[in-house]
Amino acid sequence: MMTNPQQRITQGQFSFLPPLTDAQITAQIEFALRQGWAVSVEYTDDPHPRNTYWEMYGNPMFDLKDPAGILMEINACRRTFPQHYIRVMAFDSSRGWETPRMSYLVNRPDKEPGFRTVRMETEGRSIRYTTERLRSGD
Amino acid sequence: MTKPVDSGVITDAKQRYAAGVLKYKQMGYWQPDYVPKDTDVIALFRITPQEGVDADEAAAAVAGESSTATWTVVWTDRLTDCELYRAKAYRVDQVPNTGAGTSTPAQYFAWIAYDLDLFEEGSIANLTASIIGNVFGFKAVKALRLEDMRIPVAYLKTFQGPATGIVVERERLDKFGRPLLGATTKPKLGLSGRNYGRVVYEALKGGLDFVKDDENINSQPFMGWRDRFLYCVEAVNKAAAATGEVKGHYLNVTSGTMEDMYERAEFARSLGSCIIMIDLVIGYTAIQSMAKWARKNDMILHLHRAGNSTYSRQKNHGMNFRVICKWMRMAGVDHIHAGTVVGKLEGDPLMIKGFYDTLRETHTDMSLEHGLFFDQDWASLRRVMPVASGGIHAGQMHQLIHYLGEDVVLQFGGGTIGHPQGIQAGATANRVALEAMIMARNEGRDYLNEGPQILQEAARWCSPLKAAIDTWGDISFNYESTDTADFVPTATASA
Amino acid sequence: MDTTPPPPTIDLAAILRDTQVQEVLDGLDRELVGLAPVKRRIREIAAFLVVTRARQSLGIEAQAPSLHMSFTGNPGTGKTTVAMRMAEMLHRLGYVRKGHVVSVTRDDLVGQYIGHTAPKTKEVLKKAMGGVLFIDEAYYLYRPENERDYGQEAIEILLQVMENHRDDLVVILAGYRDRMATFFQSNPGMSSRIAHHIEFPDYTPDELLAITRSMVAHQNYHLDDEAMATMREYIAHRITQPHFANARSMRNALDRARLRQANRLFEAAMIGATTDAEALKTITAADIRASRVFTQGNATEDQ
Repeated sequence: MMTNPQQRITQGQFSFLPPLTDAQITAQIEFALRQGWAVSVEYTDDPHPRNTYWEMYGNPMFDLKDPAGILMEINACRRTFPQHYIRVMAFDSSRGWETPRMSYLVNRPDKEPGFRTVRMETEGRSIRYTTERLRSGD
Repeated sequence: MTKPVDSGVITDAKQRYAAGVLKYKQMGYWQPDYVPKDTDVIALFRITPQEGVDADEAAAAVAGESSTATWTVVWTDRLTDCELYRAKAYRVDQVPNTGAGTSTPAQYFAWIAYDLDLFEEGSIANLTASIIGNVFGFKAVKALRLEDMRIPVAYLKTFQGPATGIVVERERLDKFGRPLLGATTKPKLGLSGRNYGRVVYEALKGGLDFVKDDENINSQPFMGWRDRFLYCVEAVNKAAAATGEVKGHYLNVTSGTMEDMYERAEFARSLGSCIIMIDLVIGYTAIQSMAKWARKNDMILHLHRAGNSTYSRQKNHGMNFRVICKWMRMAGVDHIHAGTVVGKLEGDPLMIKGFYDTLRETHTDMSLEHGLFFDQDWASLRRVMPVASGGIHAGQMHQLIHYLGEDVVLQFGGGTIGHPQGIQAGATANRVALEAMIMARNEGRDYLNEGPQILQEAARWCSPLKAAIDTWGDISFNYESTDTADFVPTATASA
Repeated sequence: MDTTPPPPTIDLAAILRDTQVQEVLDGLDRELVGLAPVKRRIREIAAFLVVTRARQSLGIEAQAPSLHMSFTGNPGTGKTTVAMRMAEMLHRLGYVRKGHVVSVTRDDLVGQYIGHTAPKTKEVLKKAMGGVLFIDEAYYLYRPENERDYGQEAIEILLQVMENHRDDLVVILAGYRDRMATFFQSNPGMSSRIAHHIEFPDYTPDELLAITRSMVAHQNYHLDDEAMATMREYIAHRITQPHFANARSMRNALDRARLRQANRLFEAAMIGATTDAEALKTITAADIRASRVFTQGNATEDQ
């Protein structure tokens, strides 16, 4: 089990807030669309902080006018992967950015086993650290 | 012809280079018709001339002393393409609200253009040796302040720029769309390595992204640098596992020699730290060296602006901090402390917006009300992440986001460690306040005005935030800023 | 004394005024010649939507009305134009959030191989969310002769979204009347989800002439009296010929006439005639008379 005060993984923009409602998710997507950003849905069962590439639930969605279509995909992804982490990302294609500008979780597994620190002692007092994923039952 | 002539540029070569003393204007350092080239470096000085020295002559003197001139005529000028190398003062304006009828002696803004060939590529030291070299002690001026510079694209392209930059830093940290949160370990001095790491662990586990060494934490009797590094990295890794987030601690590698700094930086890298820190007082060349090292070693480079207020704070002498911002973006740091607007340190909101824009934008337009005297194209040098630190707390979150935007590190040192329920709770309070405010902003709420209400709503389910607001809610620092804009926007007819 | 408060009232005229729907209806009147029955139906729908809004605001009506429509009629009868206006009206009344129109045909929805259709259809639906999805010649989605046709898959996804996302988009199916009728017969699910059927009648010869006149004026040309008479004659011929497409045919005829006018002016100039502004603006009977509609009795030119 996670030992931080939130007892859950705190990645993304809104992990310290209560889980987002569909209306709140829609408002955030609306914000991204207003900036002209493309929105994508990604999922994983391996939320290691260095796991950059979560699986894409379809390509980022370009040229959309309204959040409803994206919410539809989010809900479809939740139905397919109810026990995965799912995040919504927004991509900015403008010069000098060309990078994600938003990222927030919209789904978590019921149990979040979290991680542990594995230490390998090396020269002197130095330690090589590995963050290792725990699985339910660990 | 050895006597100084009173006025007018001397064009006749025989007269011009006769031995003796001429006015700077006569030597060609005042050229009101000069049109700066795209490749010129332009500096804007605020000059307070000595009594009896007219403004044009003072500007010409500054141009001369910061480029090729000496106090007397030298024939060896004629062995060079001296017209090219002479800096040209081409415009002088009296500063609003100075001189007759005010309490301030007359001041003048002087625009001075320097040819690109005056400067060595990729060297802040060389640039500054000219621009702020001898000239600041020059007798012809009572006081002198470097207000702004236009760095040509051609010169910018010879600099590496930020080792990492905002975009890559965020990609490495996997943190987007919100300010980053930090704290400086307190007390600044005296903690042992073991005790110090405790603060780092608690703050990161509670919700901060970074913790920071203070500027004067190097390697003192109470804590050697290696111990500090070892314990801090332990804390960082433990907190990363506890939260599933990338965490960091700015390990200050500032020390007495370059060799020591490299040794400390290498050790930080070998331990797996993602960020190191240096102080402005190590000097421009040392900063550039560390920036190159950081680029080569995938390291984020945090700069504490220790010392800058000795020359940036007073309005009539020294240099404006926005010039430091420009030089530091060129020198290649990734983070720099640039003011909070609402905290305990100096900072007028308009001026600070100018600093932040200078650090973060790909192009800034001239904007006198923000103290930006030139259009500046940043030639794709990466963006520097400004850091807001000093006397800020969660209760100001709406103002901080309004003034500083989302690409900033908000450092709540006392506001985290001094929390009545403990360090973790302090960190949580800050993070909850931050996320609630970003969410409200994105939802289109009038978060600046509704800020206190938004925080209260979150405090209803987050007791650490409630405690933070109860403790610091009313704390504010309302002192007059000393460094303020000389220009205020005038209302247009339609307004 | 009766002490119960008066029942709450609602000002329908105010809703109409505040949402500026009347402007849309007026715009439609100005923009489109004729089409009286269509305009009447649209006004009815507008009234229905205003009343539904009022019912909702008083808590009488809970459910969002189904607003999917079919527009049937021959080509060139104004279906696309009306769809744009409809989207604007729905937007002003708050029935769609953004008010844009995404116009597609079978090729935009149906893929070439297995697994291709669902993503394509969803892509289009996502783009149309918040607005109106206009599917032209919708019956091509259904090809009973090929039982493995992927069109059926697109129809099923459409049906699902039309049912579950009533608040998010309005679907308008358009096409020839008889073929749409067949389509609805074989797809009762689709038929039952269409709330409003609007028929677009062909234009009368007088209306077509009025349309032509307005197009000509719009392009800063004019037809002299003789040309106008010839145009009337042209219309009478053209209506009876194949591939007649109402307003669209008029536009094509006019485009050809402008080409001939240019050619005529050019040839005259080559033999020394001067050209004034009046000449540049005038289309003559000859420019129209040269059409193959008169000479061959078969209009292949404006396809």
